[in-house]
Amino acid sequence: MRKRIGVWARRAAIALVILWSLFPVYWALDTSLMTNAEAQSAPAHFLATQPIFSNYQALFGVGPEAPEAAGGIARSIVNIVVESGGAMLLTLVVAILGAYAFARLRFRLKNLFFYIVLGTLTLPVYATLIPLYRIMTQVGLVNTYLGIILVYASGFMPLAMWIMYNVFLALPPAIEEAAVIDGASMLQRFWKVALPISTPGIAATAIITFLLGWGQFIFPLVLSSTGSTQPLTVVLAALEGRHVVPYTIVNAAAIIAIAIPAVLVFLLNRWIVEGIIAGSVK
Amino acid sequence: MSQPATSGRRGSLTKEFAERRSIRSEAMAYGMVAPLLVFILALALYPTVLTTIDAFMHIDPVTPPNHFAGFGNFTAIFSNPEIRQSFENTGWYVLFGVGLTVVLGTTFGLLLQRKFRGRGVVLAIVILPWALPGVVEGVIWSWIYDPTFGVLNSVLKSLHLLSQYQLFIGTRQIESILLTSLVQVWQITPLATLLVLASLQGIPGELYEAARVDGAGWWQVIRRITLPCIRPGLAIAAVEALVLSLNIFDQVYVLNAGASTASSVMSMTYFITFQGLNFGQGYALSLLATVVTVALSLGTLKLIYRKVTF
Repeated sequence: MRKRIGVWARRAAIALVILWSLFPVYWALDTSLMTNAEAQSAPAHFLATQPIFSNYQALFGVGPEAPEAAGGIARSIVNIVVESGGAMLLTLVVAILGAYAFARLRFRLKNLFFYIVLGTLTLPVYATLIPLYRIMTQVGLVNTYLGIILVYASGFMPLAMWIMYNVFLALPPAIEEAAVIDGASMLQRFWKVALPISTPGIAATAIITFLLGWGQFIFPLVLSSTGSTQPLTVVLAALEGRHVVPYTIVNAAAIIAIAIPAVLVFLLNRWIVEGIIAGSVK
Repeated sequence: MSQPATSGRRGSLTKEFAERRSIRSEAMAYGMVAPLLVFILALALYPTVLTTIDAFMHIDPVTPPNHFAGFGNFTAIFSNPEIRQSFENTGWYVLFGVGLTVVLGTTFGLLLQRKFRGRGVVLAIVILPWALPGVVEGVIWSWIYDPTFGVLNSVLKSLHLLSQYQLFIGTRQIESILLTSLVQVWQITPLATLLVLASLQGIPGELYEAARVDGAGWWQVIRRITLPCIRPGLAIAAVEALVLSLNIFDQVYVLNAGASTASSVMSMTYFITFQGLNFGQGYALSLLATVVTVALSLGTLKLIYRKVTF
């Protein structure tokens, strides 16, 4: 009997965990499918009586509410994909090369370089925000994709290097040694042996870096003053901050920003977990 | 932190060949590390040095020219009541952020530790808030907290906990901070949960069996075995929560805008620098926050991070 109660208490607790994790997203989705009148009903409706899609259409300039709602959402979606995708690719290439050298090669200044890179892992946004803005202004990279991608990538590199470093260290050395005995050069050893067997680790690093880029806010807020480079996060905050766009439409925009991370989490969560663990416990 | 690995054995290659090989491999190593170092030096360390120097400069496009100001920026910061309030507020953010994240992360981790049907899906659901942008979370929670149509008001009123709809954020300091912090806690709890789960997996089953044989109750098992063993994981989770809550910005920006009720040091830095154009004071705040962040994270690690041996 007591065991029974324990089992049910555990189930109820897990249900609460699910409710806590999912409710805010569900609520945004629910609101985004409502008419403005229904969203403002009290008590609140927990299921849209007749789901509508006009809030989403309004964001892309269709329908009566379009003029004030369409704040360059379409462009900002392109921007956020280009910026987080570009930063991911640049980070991966640079961090993987460095991580392999630190994990497998011998060179004199290794310790010094390693701690310089890892040391920046503890630097908060504060340390670099204002100077990066001024540097980017001076070199004319404000309001450009390149400027944003360079800033993102330099911020993500220490973590990506650290994850990949642990991935390379965990590879069984026998495989690479066998390749060396077979006459493989250092380059071949890296390119043809180490890289292919590290694909899961690379995938984890890629997903985590992409999600980091997708979530950026203060850097693009400072580094882009026009719609040409503002990512979805910045445009969404502006949409909400103007207080003239109905909340149903703001929630529709939020759901668009949630969609890609949510799909990644549900399809690839095993790799995300691996990456997070490799990046923090050591 | 672990030492970088020293690499491979040379096998049975002749000495001369090995030397030629190691020179080539050393050149290759520098080539592989160079891009990473250039990025880190140019876009992380150089800016940090600039922040450190410019915190002692008068830099204000409105009142040029720029000149050395000694501790002028710092005295200005400490005599500004709005900035002092943001210090106090950030203390609350850290307290709520670290406390709630550690408690929730431990609870979630313990609940999800054992295998059950559908555990994979539940884990994915638990991770979801971590993967979402802070701004988006601020936006969807601000609709939940909405004073006129929000679901929180609706639920509390249906439960007769409120007699009428309320303004949750913007009037009372602690309440505004707690509710804003809760949005960040929602985002970073998954990280703590995963770290706790990872540490739990490392506990040998014999420890639990031994405790059961000795007749320990579930609370004793948690207190005497589980909690001490997951300490390193919890330490990392606490440090991550500490750094993130010291740097809280997105949620504050969306839920609180420029109001000082629940302002954070980061939001203050942003508004002073990019709206008030007082770069010197912005730099000084940044330097303070950087030093505090680095010192506190190292200190916390030292305090609670102890290697567990069985």
